[in-house]
Amino acid sequence: MPFPKRTPLAWLNLVHDRLRFIISLGGVAFAVLLMFVFTGFMNALYDSQIQLLKQLNGEIIIINRLKSNMVLPASFARRRLYQALAFEGVEAAYALYTSDANWKNPETKRTRPVRILAFNLADPVLPLPDVEANLKRLQLPNTALIDTQARAEVGPTTAGIVTELADREIRIVGTFTLGTDFASGNGNLIMSDQNFLRYFADRGPEEDTRSFATVDVGLLKVSPNVDIDALVATLSDRLPQDVSILPKEGPAGFVQRERTYWQENTNIGFVFSLLTLMGFGVGVILVYQILYTDVADHWAEYATLKAMGYSNQFLLGIVLQEALILSALGFLPGFCISNLLYALAGGATGLTFQMTIARVGMLYATTFIMCLISGAIAVRKVQTADPADVFGG
Amino acid sequence: MYLEGEGDAMTKPGNRFFAPENPLSNSLAPIKDELAVQIQHLNFAFGKGDLCKQVLFDISLNLPKGQIVILTGPSGSGKTTLISLIGALRTVREGSLRVMGQELADMRNADRVRVRQSIGFIFQSHNLFESLTARQNVEMAVELLGRFKSKRDQAEVILTQLGLADRMDHKPQALSGGQKQRVAIARALVNHPPLILADEPTAALDKQTSREVVTLMQTLTREQNCTVLMVTHDNRILDVADRIINLVDGQLESDTNPDAFINSHTYKNSKHDDAKMFIM
Ligand SMILES: Nc1ncnc2c1ncn2[C@@H]1O[C@H](COP(=O)(O)OP(=O)(O)O)[C@@H](O)[C@H]1O
Ligand SMILES: [Mg+2]
Repeated sequence: MPFPKRTPLAWLNLVHDRLRFIISLGGVAFAVLLMFVFTGFMNALYDSQIQLLKQLNGEIIIINRLKSNMVLPASFARRRLYQALAFEGVEAAYALYTSDANWKNPETKRTRPVRILAFNLADPVLPLPDVEANLKRLQLPNTALIDTQARAEVGPTTAGIVTELADREIRIVGTFTLGTDFASGNGNLIMSDQNFLRYFADRGPEEDTRSFATVDVGLLKVSPNVDIDALVATLSDRLPQDVSILPKEGPAGFVQRERTYWQENTNIGFVFSLLTLMGFGVGVILVYQILYTDVADHWAEYATLKAMGYSNQFLLGIVLQEALILSALGFLPGFCISNLLYALAGGATGLTFQMTIARVGMLYATTFIMCLISGAIAVRKVQTADPADVFGG
Repeated sequence: MYLEGEGDAMTKPGNRFFAPENPLSNSLAPIKDELAVQIQHLNFAFGKGDLCKQVLFDISLNLPKGQIVILTGPSGSGKTTLISLIGALRTVREGSLRVMGQELADMRNADRVRVRQSIGFIFQSHNLFESLTARQNVEMAVELLGRFKSKRDQAEVILTQLGLADRMDHKPQALSGGQKQRVAIARALVNHPPLILADEPTAALDKQTSREVVTLMQTLTREQNCTVLMVTHDNRILDVADRIINLVDGQLESDTNPDAFINSHTYKNSKHDDAKMFIM
């Protein structure tokens, strides 16, 4: 016989009415779902801004001093890359060229802006497996790879498509998977720097002409065991002041800077935090209703427990236990459905919906606090249960 | 005059304990420890100021250990109030009230919670948790004293004594009214409390079931030498008592044995051939 324990009153009270219990869990799951969806969109909008940046193959980034974010089209002299190469610890310097261009949807024939990412095919600028597998094909003139995560407006994203880019014929010779961001328009294309020149060296009087003389993002590969921050400081000091030199990673890095830019310069955070808070509020009200109903329905029983000599704390414990059980068991289905929704939303928007452990943990903590708040309100009700009321029915 | 806690002596009819006329003399009595409940000049009022309504007036009353006492009286006379004061469910502010030797007047809330643990309460409604089986409902009382290892056995013993051996794993929903009240009694008795307080425990039961339940209560409390104070309007069960106290308008009106009580009340209302009149 197992060691006899305390009667699990909180659990038994909750599950006594099966239907009500399931509806209760549904309510908690719904609140969890709302919070997951809203924080999911918020994070996806932010995460999407940095997914390209995170893929770039370099420990140190050089950009035009004025390029405060990736949407701003500011390039810098390629000379700076060669200057940087001269420094001790810099092993390689790569150039990434970017440009917006109109893409004609091969099915609807309507044109949409897309972003072109171009680099010397000999440089491992974007070491995605799909990109590396297609390097040979990209050497052919007027070819590109297309992002399978591009928006639906772009049309089908498969190899073999022939359509127009910047009023020139283009042939899609392969695909890769990245996703859209605020700077990418409806999607990303990857091509060789040679092809980039074919499309953008001479685009008529109204458009900027592009050449290899200017670079949009410069990447520096650093030798192993080099102090990156120290190298960044040296480069910043010694290179002309028309460029910014940043480490790629870290709190002051290029990737985080882009994220912070969008956090500080859009209402995304505010709007979605507000919506998440609403989900939280809905949860608090739902769970409070559930706990309150339990307390109200068992009023005489709880008062009897008090008359028997159970303390207020014991009853508070019961209500809080109920809150915690609801938070744990309601979180699970909410989490599972949210996973499904993230996949669907990611497919529909081209944004990256990431379910990281930290975020799941964070939302569980939020759910827990949500139930705790509801529990704390409901508990005040139990405290007022006067044991003397049980007498005289 | 006091019975020295002899259970069998208590059952002898006619051998009664009465509160002394002068309660002060009682407080000097050396056998004070033999009192389960000792009340002196207890006043109680609900509300404050203009809304203040006095319900109990100068009650002095002693209940020796082992006695079964029935408290009766008209509705609204203050019986429930008195019993909830004795049960440490309300705060005593005027007068003295000792339960098992402990003064309840102005007692701290935490201490009152502890006093309640030595009292078995039985209410008009059973107040059992629908979500717990009969056994679990009883075990909740044992757990209060931290006896987790013996709780199962204790619950089984008391439920068996109350004739519920084959009903232990049923939830209240599956029990009859009498069975539910017997579970509630088991819950009150399982810890062998020295004092049982019951407020109209048979009010929701039919005649035959009332009789059964009260007889069981009587047998078990006698076995445990437990003091019982029971409020009832039910004249059919008066004979289980050693003593009957009548409360009218918040004052002790009479304090006698059942025979005398019935006689006096039927005498006053001679056109009735039984003792029914004192119900109201
Ligand atoms: N919680 C309360 N607040 C105010 N007055 C009360 C309360 N409980 C009872 N009373 C009043 O106290 C008097 C005695 O009530 P009670 O002790 O319940 O009588 P009994 O149990 O003898 O019927 C009644 O007049 C009743 O209205
Ligand atoms: Mg009453």
